[in-house]
Amino acid sequence: MSKKISRRKFLVRGGLGTIGVVALGTYVFRNPLRRAMFGMIDSFVPPYSGSGTEANLWFEITKNNTVILHSPKVEMGQGTFTSLAQIVADEFDVSMNQVQVIGAATETGIVDGMSTGGSLSVAQLWQPLREMAATMREMIKNEAAKKLSIDVSSLSTKDGVISGSGKSITYAKAAEGVTKWDVPDTPALKPMKDYKFIGKPIPRIDLNAKVFGEPIFGMDAEMPDMLHAVIVRPEHVGAKYKGANIDEAEKMPGVVKVIQMDNWVGIVAKTYPEALAAKFKLKVDWDVPRKWTEEDIREIISVGNGNEMIVQKGGSSLDPEEEGVETVEFKSPIGAHAQMEPNGAVAHVKDNKATIIISTQVIGVTQKQVADALGFELENVNVIPTYLGGGFGRRLNTSHAIEAAQLSKEVGKPVKYFFTRKEEFQHDMFRPPTHHIMRGKLDENGLLEGLEHHFASGNVAIGSVIMPDMLHGILNADVGAIRGGSIQYSKVPNIRAVQWHNPLPFATSWWRSLGLLANTFAIESFVDEMAIKAAKNPAEFRLALIDDNEDGKRLKAVIKTAIDKAGYTDEVTNGRAMGFAASTDAGAPCAQVVEVSVIDNQVRVHKVTCVLDCGVAVNPDQVKAQCEGAIIMGISASMHEKMTLKDGQLYPTIYGPYDMALMKHSPREIDVHLIQGADVPLPVGEPPLGPIGAAVANAVRRITGKRLTELPLKMG
Amino acid sequence: MVFGILFASNYVNTNVDYTSINEVDKITSNSDENFDKMMSVLTHQRCVNCHPNDNIPKQGDDSHPHYFGMSRGKGNMGYDATKCTTCHQSENNEYSGVPGASEWSLAPESMKWEGLTSIEIAKSMLDPKKNGGRTHEEVMHHLTEHELVLWAWDPGVDANGNPREKPPVSKDEYIAVVKEWFKEGAIILEE
Amino acid sequence: MKISFTINGAAQTIDIEDTNTPLLWVVRDMLDLKGTKFGCGKSACGACTLHVDGQAIRSCSYAVKFAEGKNITTIEGLGTSEKPHPVQQAWIEEIVPQCGYCQPGFMMATAALLNENPNPTDDDIDKNIINICRCATYYRMRKAIHRAAELTNKNTNAQKL
Repeated sequence: MSKKISRRKFLVRGGLGTIGVVALGTYVFRNPLRRAMFGMIDSFVPPYSGSGTEANLWFEITKNNTVILHSPKVEMGQGTFTSLAQIVADEFDVSMNQVQVIGAATETGIVDGMSTGGSLSVAQLWQPLREMAATMREMIKNEAAKKLSIDVSSLSTKDGVISGSGKSITYAKAAEGVTKWDVPDTPALKPMKDYKFIGKPIPRIDLNAKVFGEPIFGMDAEMPDMLHAVIVRPEHVGAKYKGANIDEAEKMPGVVKVIQMDNWVGIVAKTYPEALAAKFKLKVDWDVPRKWTEEDIREIISVGNGNEMIVQKGGSSLDPEEEGVETVEFKSPIGAHAQMEPNGAVAHVKDNKATIIISTQVIGVTQKQVADALGFELENVNVIPTYLGGGFGRRLNTSHAIEAAQLSKEVGKPVKYFFTRKEEFQHDMFRPPTHHIMRGKLDENGLLEGLEHHFASGNVAIGSVIMPDMLHGILNADVGAIRGGSIQYSKVPNIRAVQWHNPLPFATSWWRSLGLLANTFAIESFVDEMAIKAAKNPAEFRLALIDDNEDGKRLKAVIKTAIDKAGYTDEVTNGRAMGFAASTDAGAPCAQVVEVSVIDNQVRVHKVTCVLDCGVAVNPDQVKAQCEGAIIMGISASMHEKMTLKDGQLYPTIYGPYDMALMKHSPREIDVHLIQGADVPLPVGEPPLGPIGAAVANAVRRITGKRLTELPLKMG
Repeated sequence: MVFGILFASNYVNTNVDYTSINEVDKITSNSDENFDKMMSVLTHQRCVNCHPNDNIPKQGDDSHPHYFGMSRGKGNMGYDATKCTTCHQSENNEYSGVPGASEWSLAPESMKWEGLTSIEIAKSMLDPKKNGGRTHEEVMHHLTEHELVLWAWDPGVDANGNPREKPPVSKDEYIAVVKEWFKEGAIILEE
Repeated sequence: MKISFTINGAAQTIDIEDTNTPLLWVVRDMLDLKGTKFGCGKSACGACTLHVDGQAIRSCSYAVKFAEGKNITTIEGLGTSEKPHPVQQAWIEEIVPQCGYCQPGFMMATAALLNENPNPTDDDIDKNIINICRCATYYRMRKAIHRAAELTNKNTNAQKL
């Protein structure tokens, strides 16, 4: 049964070659949030929960017959735009070069009600986007049938052209002038084997823009008559603004206005260097009630301290005093996002309306926060997303959009504000430090009869603007901090995963893969140690602990493939040893084997073999790229990076002292193999961050006999 | 007494607290103390950071190894394309805190001072085999006139905008004691 | 004060009060060439790398007064989609960029390396290419740098013939 959707407003734009724009906003859940919550609990892949029901634009067709997808998800390097273009091309029957993807702005498109994150973009949009593209194709075919006076059943589509009975018409011509559309029932989707683009290693659609330096990022945005701003923020954790001497700064060349807010001072100037030069002249007094120390933080984040939440429970618990029960403690440090493009925004506030151009992972949240802060109606705030110079979870919090808007309001002109690198490092929303106590016992066959993971962390999802705290009530844990914290070895009869949660005096939040990095490091290091104690091959040891249910089979498959492809051996050869680890994150199991040497106390990773079961890989090349990047980012986080507290300040504040993996630390060989163990796309961007830390530590254990229990992994 | 007056005005100008006027007056004619003062500068991190013994330039008041793996490379100027001058120009940069002076580079390999005693450094400095064939006169001019040497008293600000520590003796006093020490025969006090 | 230089082949004169202004901001905000990126402002990340007289320079730490009479090349002048520089060609063939923000700086650093050393070894790459990429695209970058060397040498040989 088809239904008329003429009630909906259709956006018809002139200029830029855009004609009779086609809109479709039908994919709306009755209660998206509820669906999202249950979706996450059931499958770990929440359904797409788009905002809005009216005048929402998914597609445009231009005069030159290009289909433009207004993506509700942003592109931050993960390759989502390319995968979405492939999906559209296949079901819309256009070629790749007839598809363009732009980020949907709140005023003109459907933006995601939650976020771009959690490695979920392709997984969430897989079904709805294919259905919409197929529906759109049928809608245009209907119009073509009318214009060509041919029955729709005898029409076929290819490369943006509809043909039948010797006649043909382009999509653009068919759509031209149409104001009322017939929306058919969702047509049958094509079988996988008929897809020409899905599943193929298509080059990224943003490749040229990124190779030739086109202005595509939030930092590159400009508005006419725009001014530039810097903000002075406290250096000490928990410091409060007391007052400032702004006289000298106000007199500096180019300075338009110095603005004192609750806990920061802003300087707006004609140019950025002028604003920065004036900042050097500003003298701000801060009240520092307490100088937090590294010891304070370690005490807060400590198993047994804070709220206890049982995440997983089976059988009885282990008695630490009992003969044969092994206990090992692990730690991970505070981690910084350190994304290359600083946070910032270009904002223009005028007549109770705001326009914000920004690199954000949460378009809808940014809109709401700005509207709330300025007391504007939601529809009077238009958030225009750009390409992101890295996301990694940092841009799930965009309070700087509010600040840019406040600065613009003060001066009555558009303002560009962005963080200095020091602000990035001191006012990040960090990955919280963790503490883990692992406990285990072998049975008489040398298999694990008990395995427990007790772990402490700060806020990850709790307190976040994109995840209702109610959800944590349902799950009884911080859904971010517990990622990767459960025991994946289903045959172990006695298991516990217990999370201890405590908030920290500085902001902590989402960092690519959330708890997975540290949790897997602790669990997989410990399991490896137990395998050594049992005198078993660590991969065989794990395989014996996994049930043959569906999840178990998939986990076993990545483990077996990894040891096979890497030629895993327990032996140390020519000073090199292999290390093995596996994790299951968001339904995507991943196993890695690393080849490591230790020379002069320097640990070097020479080769990584990575096997990921991500279901359908819409773009296998970009899935591999995500694995390669995640592995090296994981090496960086596990072997190099560490934020500390120094004199009550978060330190370091610049790259270099914040030690990160560079070219020279990157493995010369990364061998990625993909397994399709499900018939839908699964998360990709985060799962491969899981095993790497433990895999390296496990290799070091074999070379040196030493068990490293703290990230970053350092010898001596 | 001329020195005394000179130092007094200098003392006020540079706002560096180290030696009182009386003491300065007392010691300027003393070769051993001239030597000690000169060496207190030449062993300061502002100088030694670029005289490493492991080919790795040092940074900061704590003399940590230069970040990002920079090393001596070709002609003491770094690697093929990523050189000292990729970041360091002929002046300090106040916006970035990157220090600069003309001919910014590592001291030649023959002038590895890091970890040496004052006496070892002085001997090496006067040894034509290690100082690039310079006479005493030429060494004196180098030490008192070369922009890169004198940069130590104009070290600019660090990445956080905080002033870098200067050597423990003022520039004028340093120049005076170096000249005096050479004039009096460049005598290195043996232990 | 007026400062004149050549940028991407065209003569340019700017009028600026503070001649210590980093070249980065002159290029980005006065000349509207946004391909050169701000990453840290402290010469630590390399996102702002461009060429001055063929040498790699981190422009966040380069006072514009030093550009007087010099020849500047930014990513926009390195090559175009019609006529890509071998480094850009290699970056496309290897599908290097992810988020893409740091990539112009890496490509400029690589182009400068190939000018000095047409056949860099892995060790040469490790020493010279010390920019930061948070997406950690280093694995493909290394392949692309070797590929760019190949393409450059092909071009040079073709010219010789």
